[in-house]
Parts: sequence; structure tokens; C-alpha cells
Amino acid sequence: MSITAMPPCQAACPIRTDVRGYVYAISKGDVSEAIRIIREVNPFPSVCGRICTRACESACRRGQIDEPIAIASLKRFASDETMEQKDIFKTGPYYTEKIAIVGGGPSGLTAAHDLALLGYNVVVYEAHDELGGMMTRGVPEYRLPKNVVMNDIERILSLGVEARTNTALGKDITVDELMKEYQAVFIALGSEKSLFPKCRGIELPGVITAVEFLKQVSRGQRPYLGQKVVIIGGGHTAIDAARTCIRLGSPDVTVLYRRTINEMPAGRIEVEEAESEGVKFRYLSAPLEFIGRGRIEKIRCTEMRFVADESRRRRLVPVEDSEFEVMADAVILAIGYNPRTDDIKDIEKISGKRGTIVVKDDTGTTNLKGVFAGGDVVSGPMSVIDAIASGKRAAIAIHRYLRSLPPKENEEPTVLKPLDEKIIPLIEKRPQQKMAQLPVEERIKNFDEVNLGFTWEQAISEAQRCLNCGAGAEISDECVSCLNCVRVCPYNVPVASEYKPKIDISQCQACGICASECPALAIDIKLDTKEQSIIKLQNAINSAKNISGNNSEIEFYCQYKKIGKPGTETSKETSIGKPCIARIDISQFIKPFEEGCKKVKILACKDNDCHFKECNKWLNKHVNEAKRILKESGLDPEQLTVVYE
Amino acid sequence: MVIAEIKSLADINEMIKSFRKIFIVGCGECVSVCLTGGQKQVELLSSALRISGRNDKEKRILKGKTISRQCEPKFLEQINKDIEESDAVLSMACGAGVQTLSEKFRKIPVFPAMDTKFIGVSDEAGNFIEMCSACGDCILSLTGGICPVTRCPKGLLNGPCGGSKNGKCEANPETPCAWLLIYEKMKELNKLEELKNINNPKDWSKNMRPGKVNAGI
Ligand SMILES: Cc1cc2nc3c(=O)[nH]c(=O)nc-3n(C[C@H](O)[C@H](O)[C@H](O)COP(=O)(O)OP(=O)(O)OC[C@H]3O[C@@H](n4cnc5c(N)ncnc54)[C@H](O)[C@@H]3O)c2cc1C
Ligand code: SF4
Ligand code: SF4
Ligand code: SF4
Ligand code: SF4
Repeated sequence: MSITAMPPCQAACPIRTDVRGYVYAISKGDVSEAIRIIREVNPFPSVCGRICTRACESACRRGQIDEPIAIASLKRFASDETMEQKDIFKTGPYYTEKIAIVGGGPSGLTAAHDLALLGYNVVVYEAHDELGGMMTRGVPEYRLPKNVVMNDIERILSLGVEARTNTALGKDITVDELMKEYQAVFIALGSEKSLFPKCRGIELPGVITAVEFLKQVSRGQRPYLGQKVVIIGGGHTAIDAARTCIRLGSPDVTVLYRRTINEMPAGRIEVEEAESEGVKFRYLSAPLEFIGRGRIEKIRCTEMRFVADESRRRRLVPVEDSEFEVMADAVILAIGYNPRTDDIKDIEKISGKRGTIVVKDDTGTTNLKGVFAGGDVVSGPMSVIDAIASGKRAAIAIHRYLRSLPPKENEEPTVLKPLDEKIIPLIEKRPQQKMAQLPVEERIKNFDEVNLGFTWEQAISEAQRCLNCGAGAEISDECVSCLNCVRVCPYNVPVASEYKPKIDISQCQACGICASECPALAIDIKLDTKEQSIIKLQNAINSAKNISGNNSEIEFYCQYKKIGKPGTETSKETSIGKPCIARIDISQFIKPFEEGCKKVKILACKDNDCHFKECNKWLNKHVNEAKRILKESGLDPEQLTVVYE
Repeated sequence: MVIAEIKSLADINEMIKSFRKIFIVGCGECVSVCLTGGQKQVELLSSALRISGRNDKEKRILKGKTISRQCEPKFLEQINKDIEESDAVLSMACGAGVQTLSEKFRKIPVFPAMDTKFIGVSDEAGNFIEMCSACGDCILSLTGGICPVTRCPKGLLNGPCGGSKNGKCEANPETPCAWLLIYEKMKELNKLEELKNINNPKDWSKNMRPGKVNAGI
């Protein structure tokens, strides 16, 4: 196992966000650092913090113990708390080349962002009058308020990206024209052409597609819904449309889905939320015909069932003689989408099945020289984070194309192994923080955001649940094979091998005890390295001396017990937070006295309160040893005090 | 391995009181493993000496380094320059290390920061226990692999004596009776009969000091 193995959360993220890094920053109350880490790879933190599909959370190893870290919600916290920070690092343009991006959704805007940061001149062409794609026209505001999307978009524009809205490829401009003016083009048109069920009557007034419906609502229009609305489909869009109808005041909203809840692309949580707002679900039901005179009145449907075919795969078939009718004043179709590219002539050469654009590899390179493509127009409907990822890959590919560099090698990271069964019971269970929501009675009246975000206490406490996977102990060549680490580790991670001991980075909990006990100073903990510790201590000593001269005092505290919003007491410059005080080695307690400080105070945790294990046992040992040294050196050992809180 | 303990700071201060530039040399072998003379202790001792010398008119300058094996002159080459820049050396090694240092660097006083105690092992409970007296005439083959010369406070070659009580030695009630341990081990080995043989006095002439072994190279 490589010592640099990646935590599974990061490996699962399509843009390889340093989840551990930003979660750790939040655990220390440092939201600025957290958002800096996030923005390094993601120009849409406010969006992803709310509606990301969260592959990271499914991979998170904390899930082996209780529940995964609420990674996305912490991202939202970092972005909400730094909304006002407008410090943008502007660049270039360093290069003269101009790049056209077609489509102002997450894919196109991410490519624009990354290319602008690389130093290119970027122009975004967008068919609509507003940027954002499905983020502003699809996802309803109660899940993703428009102003937070716009906040992310404004930052992108402030890098010098130019937006030309109301300009559609195929109608107002062509690829050929673009290629005359620009040196590269990135096509990211999304996928918004609705599919229709093969039934009669879909042309009846009152039958509308979900994307069209949501788009109208997002622009403040209020399509006629009458008393009874039926939504056909089972994806996110179907649920979003249903919950939107509830908010528009429809008294009777039913989602008709041909399979069961188990096959639903929308998750169970989404279904439950919709149900709590009054949406009804009817599973194993499919429309056969839309009926009405001059306007939709009812739907003739059939019940469905699964049968196993010869290859034992389940197949969905109508149940014989099970037809029934559902009354409907409006029908919203949400059964799927394809990209809308049929009316764009000059991309025929690169168009594929169902309106998609064909690319050669995941960098988005197409068969047209200088033309790249990404996002839903290539993949079909996916997710915001996949769109962002494709935009990032394309930006790199375009840069390498323009600079005549060879394509970037794709490196698959080594990923940490799952936690050992033996270690799981040694880690204390702490359930995930649950975000407050608007009460149902309130939220069905308007489009206010349902999820209210974490409080500071919640965010810090949630971030502290992270196991800091892979940020643990590393043994250097200085090791003298004393095997003390093997003896002291509370999780039994180091093992004696033929010569030097081995620490499995996948299992180490980064508690730091082995490092403080190693006689050769051969162990460093990535989470809180020796070098960082020395710098932190020296800074604290300098400030203490500046503030109170010969009367200066240094304080150590456990980050897991005492951390708050910046500006609170622990953020004093003379206070040093540590992820567990058992890891502080004796030299850190002695050093301030060497530099002439008067007092060192340690805020210790009460017994059994340790985030890891047995901090007091080790703290006492270190303190006693330090006091002995102070006494022998002619100082009063009471200048070093431990306060249990 | 060789077990050593750090001397009291007062003793160390007394040795080096007239020196300003002190170089502390740790050893990465036995004394690191018994947690008294590795890099960590080198740094703590420098701190302690710096603090205790805080009121001196002329400040002490302390530097330190751990040599992977201090009793190897070739490894000492790397500190030639540090030695040149110092007025005294404090060795955190067993006596062999201290002497190798002072033999190699003849112009500078070399002081022992440690008291070398014995040849021993860890008892896994935070203690180091003496196991061998380096007598030069090993009899472990006769005693089930347990050394009575060292672990029996009376050094009895034929035991136990009448002072063995509840498995402990009368000389120190914390010390297990070595001869009881030998008895039990021999029982496990099915060799109790052999304990009836009387062990002859050891050949102490093999313990001539200073010891010398020719390795033929
Ligand atoms: C209702 C709904 C809910 C969703 N919920 C989630 C969710 O919870 N989580 C999640 O991760 N994903 C969700 N998605 C999916 C997500 O929004 C998309 O996968 C993502 O937006 C795709 O990004 P994109 O940039 O490829 O395309 P889009 O976001 O579709 O952007 C494409 C842009 O190109 C513009 N464009 C199109 N044609 C032209 C043209 N000819 N010329 C110029 N411009 C053009 C469009 O106007 C649009 O602005 C949802 C989608 C919908 C519809
Ligand atoms: S516990 Fe933290 S580092 Fe580990 S997988 Fe989960 S979020 Fe990532
Ligand atoms: S405690 Fe340090 S020196 Fe001892 S075996 Fe472990 S890493 Fe090596
Ligand atoms: S850091 Fe803690 S968990 Fe990891 S090896 Fe060291 S003592 Fe064990
Ligand atoms: S008999 Fe002598 S050499 Fe053997 S273990 Fe005992 S003291 Fe050491």
C-alpha cells in the first residue's frame, strides 16, 4: 500500500476534491481554509454543497462505523459562511488564444473558469437570457436558491470570462464561424429535449414536459395546473415537478411510476420528503393514452408487473385486464431527456445516438479539430458534478492542445483499504448531524430553501467525525526498531515485522500517540506534522512574549473539545489547538520555558472524554516527565499546570 | 541489549559547568531502544541544559545529534565538524560509546550523560530487566535458558536457597526467584531429572577483564 494512498471520499469524487483537507479545516473552525481547498477544484461549491449526488459519502469509511460524514453539507457550510469573501485571484490573460464555450451550464462554466485561470480569453455563448443551465432553470429554488448559483457564477465572470447570452448555436452562430474567431470551442449544451411516452394524446393542451414546466416556474410563470396534477416518471425531475406543484397550491398531486420505489432513480429520502409535503405515489403504473376534448381530462393507464425471462432478468410487462383511469387537469411528463442537437447543422459530423455528441476519450476531444465537448450533451443526463468534471478535463485538454503538449496521462490513484473489522469496534460511534429543515406547513407555501444549513456547532461537530483517513503515522529511516510504537498504539495498528515495524496507513487513526512516544522521533503524523507543530508553537511563543513579555503564558487545548467560531476565546494567538493533547510530546511543554515563558497551561479533557483513547494516561506521563525536567532545571514545576475541563 | 539510565541533571551540570559550547551525541542502538539515549532524549537534555543555564552570564550553546551506532568510529566521522565547533561532548550512549567518542576525538573532553546499567530486556510493562552478567562462561544450557548468575541475587549455581518465598526472592520481594523459574521451565522441558546434577563452580578465569574476543578479521 502506497503511503500516499487516497482517502476513498476523494477517490470517489469525480473532481477528486480534497475532502479530508476541507473537512479537517472546518473541524478547526477554519472556513476560509476550507473554502480555499474546495475552490481549488470546484467553482460551484454552493451548488454542490446542496444538490451533489455525493459519491464521496457512499464511499466514506465512517459509514463502516455509523454513518458517513455529511460531506456535501459541510461544503455548503463552508460556502455559506464565506459568501461575503470576494477575494478572487485574477490572472492573465497570459495567452493570446481565444476560446469559445457554448452552453452556460455547469460543464461550460467550469471549463470557462479553469481556462480563464490558466490565462486564456474565454467567451461563453448561451441560448437563454441567463447562465446556469439546469442549475437555474431545472432544479427548483427550494433545493437550490438561484442567488447562491448566481454567487458562484459571478465569481467565474469576475475572472474576466465574457458571457454572450441569447445566442444559440445552430440559430445565431455556427461552429464554423466560431472556429474562425476562436482557436478552440467547447460544446456543453446539456440534455434537455424531453422524451415522450409512446401514447396517443400527448399533444393535448395541459400535457407539458417537466423541464419546460420547471423552466416556466423558475421564470415566475405559473402554468395552469387545475385541481389534479399527474406526473409521469420516477427521477429527480419527476419529484422536483411534483413538489413544485404542491408549492403552487395544487391540492392533488400524484406521481405515476411504472416500476417500484426500489428502482426509482430519485432516492428514498426524496420520495419521503415529497410524501411529507402531500405528494401521492402510484407505483407499477404506466400511461396508455391521454384523453380529453380540447384539453387533457384523464389518463388511461395499466398496471405493470415484473416477470423473470429466460435469462432470469426481470422484465416489466403490463398486467392483463388491469386498465384503469386517472383524472387529470394537467399532466407533467418526466420520463427522460436527450440532448437537443438535431437542428444544429454543422455538428452532424460528431453527433451520435439520441442527439449526443461523440467524443474520443474522457478529455472531450472530438473528431473536429479544435472542437471539444462535455457535460450532459455527451453523456446524456447525469449530474452537476459529472458536468463539472467534464468541464475540468476539457479545460486541460484544450490547454494542452493549444500549447501542443502531449495529452495528460490518466493516473488511477491508490485508494485506502476499508477499515479492519478489528478496528471498527474501537472507534466511538457518533451519529451524523441532521440539518434543520423548514417545517412542512411552511415550506409548501413558497419556494424558500427547505434545508437550512448547519449551525457552527453542528458543522464543527460533524467535521470532527471524520477519521482523517490516510493522514496518520509514517515511519522514517530514523526508526531504531524499538517497537515502542507497537506497544503503545491504542488501536494496535503498528506491527512488528522482520526488521522495522509497519504501520498500515489504511488503519491508522492518526491519534499521534506513537509519534509522541517514539524515542527516535521517527514518526510523523500527516494530520499534524512535527514541522507544523514547531512553527505553531514558535508563533505562539513570539506572540506571548510580544503581549506580556516575561510574564507570558502558552496554552494548549484539545481541538476536539474546544473549538468555536473564529473570534472566540480559543482563537487567541497564544493558544495552541491540537487534535488530542496526548499527542503533544514533552518537548513542546518544555520549549516555552526555554524561550523564557512564565507559564504553560494545558486544558485537558475529563476522563473518558477522549476523542481517541486514554489521552489522560499519556498526558499525565508527559506532564510528569516535563515537571521533573523543570524541577531539575531549577524552575517551579507548578509553572506547568493542567486544568481539567 | 545494553540498558542505561540518564544521570541526574545536577550531575551532568557539574561535569559541564565550565563549558559553553556543548555537543550532545545520542546513540541509535540499545540506549534508543531502552528509551534513554535516542534523539528524543538528546533534544530534551539540550532543553533542560538550556533552561538550567538560563542565568549564566554567557549563554550555553547546545547542539545534538544521534549516531546510528556510537561505538563505531566510522560512524563518528559525520560529527567531525560539530566536534571542532564545541568545547565539550556529552555522550548519551553506554560506556562503550562514550569511550569510542573520547578515543576518536582526543582533544575535547567527552562526558558520559548516562549510567550504563546492565544487559537486559523489556518486560513489556515499561521496565527493563537485567538478564546477563557477561560472565564469559555461559551455563544457560544447564538452567533451562534462565540465568541464575544474574537473575538470582545471590548468584547461586545450585538453587533455590531457603529464602525463596511465594515464588519471590528474600533479597528483594519484587524479584521472582530465578531458581523457581528454572524449576518450572525444566519441568516444561521434561528435564527435571537434570536438576539433580550438581553444577560445578564456574570458571571465572574466562571472565578476565578487559575481555577480548578475536573475530578473525
Ligand atoms: C429538474 C432537474 C433536477 C436535477 N437535479 C439534480 C440534482 O439534484 N443533482 C445533480 O447533480 N444533478 C441534477 N440534475 C442534473 C444536472 O442539472 C445536469 O446534469 C447538469 O446541469 C448538466 O450540466 P451541463 O452543463 O452539461 O448542461 P446544462 O446544465 O443543461 O447546461 C447546458 C446549457 O447550454 C445551453 N444551451 C443548450 N443548447 C444551446 C445552444 N444551441 N446554443 C447555446 N446554448 C445552448 C442551455 O441553455 C444551458 O444553459 C437535475 C436536472 C434537472 C432537469
Ligand atoms: S472519514 Fe473523512 S477522510 Fe475518511 S472517507 Fe470519510 S470523509 Fe473521507
Ligand atoms: S517507536 Fe519509533 S523507533 Fe521505535 S519501532 Fe516505532 S518507529 Fe521505530
Ligand atoms: S497514530 Fe495512533 S492509531 Fe496511528 S499508529 Fe500511531 S498510535 Fe496507532
Ligand atoms: S551464565 Fe553468564 S553469560 Fe550466561 S546469561 Fe548468565 S551471566 Fe550471561
